[in-house]
Formats: sequence, C-alpha cells, structure tokens
Amino acid sequence: MTRTYEEINEKIKKGDVVVMTAEEVIKVVESQGLESATKEVDVVTTGTFGAMCSSGAFLNFGHSEPPIKMQKVWLNGVPAYTGLAAVDAYIGATELKENGDLDYGGAHVIEELIAGKPVYLRATAYGTDCYPRRSIETYISLKTINQAYLYNPRNAYQNYAVATNSSDTTLFTYMGKLLPNYGNATFSSAGQLSPLLKDPLCRTIGIGTRIFIGGAKGFVAWEGTQYNTTVPTKNGVPLRPGRTLAVIGDMKEMSTEFIRALYFHRYGVSLAVGIGVPIPILDQEVMKFASLSDKDLFAPVLDYSLQSRNRKPLKEVSYAELRSGSIELFGKKVRTSSLSSYYKARVIAEKLKKMIEEGEFLISRPVQPLPEERSFKPLDIRSKEEV
Amino acid sequence: MVKKKYLLSFTPAIVNEPITYKMIKEYDLLVNILRAEVSERGGRLLIEVEGKPSQMNKGISFLKDAGVEVRELNEYVNRDEDRCTNCGACLSICPADAFEMDKQTWKVLFKGDRCIACGLCIDTCPPRAMKLRIW
Repeated sequence: MTRTYEEINEKIKKGDVVVMTAEEVIKVVESQGLESATKEVDVVTTGTFGAMCSSGAFLNFGHSEPPIKMQKVWLNGVPAYTGLAAVDAYIGATELKENGDLDYGGAHVIEELIAGKPVYLRATAYGTDCYPRRSIETYISLKTINQAYLYNPRNAYQNYAVATNSSDTTLFTYMGKLLPNYGNATFSSAGQLSPLLKDPLCRTIGIGTRIFIGGAKGFVAWEGTQYNTTVPTKNGVPLRPGRTLAVIGDMKEMSTEFIRALYFHRYGVSLAVGIGVPIPILDQEVMKFASLSDKDLFAPVLDYSLQSRNRKPLKEVSYAELRSGSIELFGKKVRTSSLSSYYKARVIAEKLKKMIEEGEFLISRPVQPLPEERSFKPLDIRSKEEV
Repeated sequence: MVKKKYLLSFTPAIVNEPITYKMIKEYDLLVNILRAEVSERGGRLLIEVEGKPSQMNKGISFLKDAGVEVRELNEYVNRDEDRCTNCGACLSICPADAFEMDKQTWKVLFKGDRCIACGLCIDTCPPRAMKLRIW
C-alpha cells in the first residue's frame, strides 16, 4: 500500500491522522507485522537533543541614530561575525568570549536571548558618509531586534561514533571526559528515536521539510555540511556518521527547554539543539526503516587517543548495548554514557506527535531531495597545481 | 552498625596531631577517607565512618573535644534540576555509581547517599548542572 503527502495532510486537517513516535511504532510492528502497521500508521515522529556544534544565529539589530555600519560586534563579550550588511551579524555557537575562558560562548548568548534575557551589544565601525557612527554600546533582547533565527549548517547527524580512550591519561573531548585505559565510552545519537536513522535514505526528508527545532516549527534548509553517503551500512542504515541536515528556525518561537548551552571541560562551548522530524509513512519500505529498534542500529567504537582522521573502529556495537549501561571491549566491561538526552528526544517526538494530531503541524513534501551520493573529502596539504 | 559521612575541619594548631587515628583506635570505628586537603587555613577531611551508634557518638564527641569542627554531611553535590537535561554524561564517570538511568522515564536519578564528594561529575556535566557544596 502507498500513501501520499496530500492524503496525510487531509487526515491531519480532518483530525483522524494516526501518529506514533518512533519508539511506539517499534512495538506495533513487532506485534501486528509490517503490513498491518503500515496500513494503520500515517506518520512516525522522531526526536533528538544533543550537542550540535555547527549551529549559530543570524541577527538583525535594527539601525541606530545616527546609523552605524558595524565592523566588529560583541554580544556579552562574544564576537559575532558581521562581514554582512550594516546591522546583520551571525553568532556562532562555539565562538568564545574574549577573556580567555573556555566556558562562555555564542551558545550561551543564544540561550540567554531565547530565555528573553537582555544581552549587551558592543559594536565598532570605521564610519562612512551614510553610516557616520563609529561605536555603540547598548542592550538588546529578542523583543527589541528585528530578526533572530537559528541557521545551523550541520545538525541531526545520521549516526555518530562511540568514543573511548586507550591511553593512560584522561582526555577532554567534544565527546566528554574519556577516562584512561578504556575507563568509559560515550555516545551521542538518539538511536531508535534519531531522525536520520529512521529514514536512512532520506526518502521523506529533503529541502523544505518542516521540522521541529528548538521548540519552533522550522525547516530543512539544505544538505548539512560533511553530508556523506559513502559509508558502510547494516540493516540498510549507515554504520558511520553519514548524512546531516542544515536547518533553520525562528528563535523568537523557541524555548530554552529545547536549546541549551553546553560547556565541555577543557574543550569548549557547544549548543544542545532539540530537533524532531516527522516521517510520513508513504509505503512499507519507509515503515520498515522507521520501525528499526536500538538492537538493529549500530555505531563504531573509536579510540580518541589516536589523533588521526584514519582511526579504525575497534568494534561495532548496537544502541541497545550502549543504552544498557555498558559495552564489552577486549573482554572488559566498559561503562557507557550518552551525551545526548534520550529523555528530551522522547519529549520532542511526543510533542511533535501531539502537534500533528491537533492539526498544528502539517507534513511537507520536500521541494528537492537531498543528494543520493556525496562523498566526504579530507583536507590535505596540497600545492596550487595539485588542487 | 551505621554509616555516616562527616566533614572534619582542623585548625593549623592541631593539624599535626594524630587525632583521627586516636578516634579510630579508641572507639573501634571503620573510617574511609574520601577527601583530604591541607592549606594555610588548616586541614579538612571528608570521612565515611562505620560502627556501632554508641561508639560513633563517642568518637565524634572525642573529635569535638579535641578541637575539631565536625559537620555531618548528607548532601555533597547538588543538581540544578532546571539545567540538567538528563543526558547521562555523568553515568560512566562517577566512581560511586551515584547516578542511575531510570529505564522507564530515561531520567537520570541522582542517589546522593552514594556520593563520595569526589567532584568528578562537576566538570563532566555539559550543561553545568552539578555543583559541589562541601569545600
């Protein structure tokens, strides 16, 4: 059987759509079988809430009197990029405050803006005939500025590595604190709730797909950076970090419940972003993938003490093992920690389900599919002639 | 037998005396040193004591008589519930298994009674939800 986007949206408008979270649908397929579940369920909702460093916000501050063409901008002491028009800026989530500390950055500014707090704006300029002002110091908030929207170049990674450490010193990484001698292992994906693991070929996710982002309704804007289709698969799902999404959403509609500044000790700042993607069950194949469970989804274990892009996985482990609290490595029980919140991922999938059931959230057909083939290129030292 | 945790503060004048040893020997108590620090202000010792209630009370009185400031600790680390995202980064770091994942709700439970105040969770927590209260 097949189903169209239009049919699903009609059902949403009439209020008789059947939506299940990616967790709930696993049980339904187990008990009823794939065919019957495909007939019954129109949409499966996913969710994830984890560190997504490649995030940031475009801001338009409005014009001062007299006007200024901002050349350098700081928000709460964190530099924002302003090589755009006069009063536009982009603040990157991982940008650090200019005082030498690693623990306050763009992510904190973004969280404080979303929380409705005042943020201190300082800008300097060289002065022009039409923009004579050379400096400004003031406070802004989401209420006072024209636009504030997240534009995140790489979010919602399809799978990710499990990090461990074979060396005899503690490592401080973007995967958290890694204890010596395989003392622990950390992982990041929401597994069976994670958007791109539940539609691994992106059959229903493309440019223009309406998504839940940070509490707001946003969109998939483009393929994410480092988008990669050339990875090995198991059960049809990438075994390595694969596809990614560039996403966009209005910060004025967001909540700090789903956007949270993070600090990784001795590494730096990142932003936890909550993303939920609805998967329209167009046919049985879409349902087959959407109902894969943690025991069917696998991630590679990497030794982060090897400072090389070419490190080979020590083994592959299922998300069911990871979530059990420990994995086995070289005959030793190694405790595991998730860096993304499964609790929040579930809240997001539930919330998205409710929004669809209540007719507040329509499913969108992608304007254009994401690339079917895209390789992941390394950066090598090359001469002018070699490139 | 009971088990309790105490924070002992020693003034510089008594830091050289084997007061804790005397208490252990005299009152037959099992003492596990969880944390120790000596600075110009004196010494601080976080201990877990196990023994008969009567012996324990006598031992603590002995410490007080010797000039040691004694504070029983029931909470060493606390969690800012608003900041905690229930990710679980703390789970594989804590040597005392003070964090547990509730597999029904997927919320991280913090079992304060198991905490040994090592502080390892503090800088492990990405949203910075854990705060050390003792030192």
